[in-house]
Amino acid sequence: MRIYSASSEEAFRTRELLAEWAGDGLLSETQHQQLEKHVASELHTTNIFLRLILFFFTLVGVGATVALFFAVFRLWSPEKTSGFFLLIFAGLCYFSAEWAVSRFHLYRYGIEEALATCSCGFLCAGMWSVLFSGRPYFPQPDAFQSLVPASGAVFSLWLWRRFGFCYAFPAAMIFALFLPDYWTSSHSAQHVVVVLFYGTGLICIALLRARHSDFAQEDLSIAEAFLWLGTYLALNLQLSTLSLRAQWGGSNLRNASEFSPPFYWMTWVVIWLLPAFVLVRGIRKKDRLVMAVGAITAVLTFISNKPYLGWPRHTWDPMLQGILLAGVALFIRRWLEAGPGGIRGGFTAARLSARDKQWIDAGSVVVGIATAQSVTPAAQTRPTDFHFGGGSTGGGGAGGDF
Amino acid sequence: MTILSRLERWREQGAITAGQYAQLSSRYRREPFSLFLELNVLLYAGVLAFVTGLGWTVTTWSKQLGDLLVLAVLTAMLAGCFWYVFSRPAAWSPTEAPAPSPIFDYALYLGSLVWCVELAYLENRFHVLSGQWDFYLLATAALFFFLAYRFDNRFVLTLALSSLGGWFGLTISRWPSYQNSTYRQLALVYSLLVGVGAAVLQQLGLKTHFFNTYLNIVANILFWATLSGVFERQGYGVWVLGLLLTSAASLAWGLTRGQFAFVAYAMVYAYVGVSSVLIRGINDDKSIFAYFVITALAMLAALIHIARPFGRSA
Repeated sequence: MRIYSASSEEAFRTRELLAEWAGDGLLSETQHQQLEKHVASELHTTNIFLRLILFFFTLVGVGATVALFFAVFRLWSPEKTSGFFLLIFAGLCYFSAEWAVSRFHLYRYGIEEALATCSCGFLCAGMWSVLFSGRPYFPQPDAFQSLVPASGAVFSLWLWRRFGFCYAFPAAMIFALFLPDYWTSSHSAQHVVVVLFYGTGLICIALLRARHSDFAQEDLSIAEAFLWLGTYLALNLQLSTLSLRAQWGGSNLRNASEFSPPFYWMTWVVIWLLPAFVLVRGIRKKDRLVMAVGAITAVLTFISNKPYLGWPRHTWDPMLQGILLAGVALFIRRWLEAGPGGIRGGFTAARLSARDKQWIDAGSVVVGIATAQSVTPAAQTRPTDFHFGGGSTGGGGAGGDF
Repeated sequence: MTILSRLERWREQGAITAGQYAQLSSRYRREPFSLFLELNVLLYAGVLAFVTGLGWTVTTWSKQLGDLLVLAVLTAMLAGCFWYVFSRPAAWSPTEAPAPSPIFDYALYLGSLVWCVELAYLENRFHVLSGQWDFYLLATAALFFFLAYRFDNRFVLTLALSSLGGWFGLTISRWPSYQNSTYRQLALVYSLLVGVGAAVLQQLGLKTHFFNTYLNIVANILFWATLSGVFERQGYGVWVLGLLLTSAASLAWGLTRGQFAFVAYAMVYAYVGVSSVLIRGINDDKSIFAYFVITALAMLAALIHIARPFGRSA
């Protein structure tokens, strides 16, 4: 199923580890070069920046080629014809991605990724045009129309398994999110169906993790983390029915009160239990991403608890949350540091890899600028228009007037 | 073959020592597992959430709480944070220096943000600067630069750069509403000043690890400024030239230093700018699509050529 051989990918991961260990001073440069010779394979990859711009220009090129084809041959209408050609382009893009990998051994190179992404987009657009042209795009209970998101989900899963693109898995989850809208108008049932989908996914991933070798664990870990997050978001009715929907257009806005009380309160219990369960699982498996999802969902539970209970929010709630977060971090750090050698239960607060510091340094620049925007007033050239603040998050937080 | 079995074989072959084998295999098995990154992110999120709530509370309840209480609380927090950082003085070093304690950087960051809240409160309630925000921003930028260099803190450095940008009249969030020539000129002067300042500090050997932070911010502001000039309907020629020169410099810098973010900036900004000029006035869809097909292929060819020497074979 996988387009890359297990030995090639294992060699790739090993080379990455060797580079990291050499960077951390655990291997000398001579040793690094010597050991790299033992793990050569035919895969070609590039750095993240070139990968991103190769992806971008491939998307531009493919999009423009398809648009030119349609413009030259005047295929914009009827929709069925254009859909048919979109399906042909989907096939062409997919086989181009396969060919690029087989012929040039591209691995996370941007080009094959953009081709595969285009194939998924063209497939869904083409199917819709061929099967449902002339019908409204708005989801309504019509099981047949669910064929389009179902195909998108299945094809994304295929791309994930075939090429190992980590973002293909959340794409499949998003497609799956639309499926119940076509099957039932009951909002409670829609939430349950999504949770069942993701729950099934979690069982499959758990089985795969038990079977697969070490280097495949990383991909499966990403998938599991997304599934836990998706399950939580589907269950947290305050997040999934109100805020997000309102932000994304508001056309499908639902009120939490429309859910039956037993269902509503059951989800409230689950959103308290799930973060703890995920956190414990992440800690037991020493899985960084699953742990992160556990922490994120715990924070989201604190944020959404008051709306769930119908209690009013207070302006000092974020302060209390901040104190809690910082307090937990300090407590864990001190507790770990107090252990023998600064280690407790196989965990340490010490920095072991230079990569951690690089992440913090890079993050500090990006979030530092974003934060600082809230404390920076309007342009000097327009002093009469000046109105300090307005920043709703971060920085001085001095939004609005005093 | 698993990574652990490779390590074992290398130890048997003598490529790595027994000590290295033990160290590398335990690192690979994540024994111990480091929570360094997670704890730092939690601390940062905690500080940010706290200051958000602080600003929100002060904004909403200032009249009920009274100025005296608000100012007393804010001043106490400010004093507490700065007392903490100044009472643990690590010897200053021109090179990168570790923080004296794990929460040191966050206490400094919190203090800096509380400073902003308090100054904003003072100005909004008492108009102590009589609308002279320039002084507030310049003084704040100077304070933050001092703190960033004294305590080796990138968070505060970005606050300083942003405050200085504000003094010049630049804020990213408000950019679209002020795309005029004055604004662009200010952006250019800011980029020039910060860029030259960073280069001088680099030459003097003062906190040379900050150089990339300066460079990334300067490059992006410069690109935005020139690109906004290119989008003008008239007199855009000089901005096109500026964009091309900036892109060439960024490309050369990125390739010679192996900093591919600058290669990405150069390629994307130049492509967007030049494309906007070339397809301007063309109304024929086919010509526009053909342009994008040809140029995208040309860019891909150029990028693959560029990537080849820097690409990695797994």
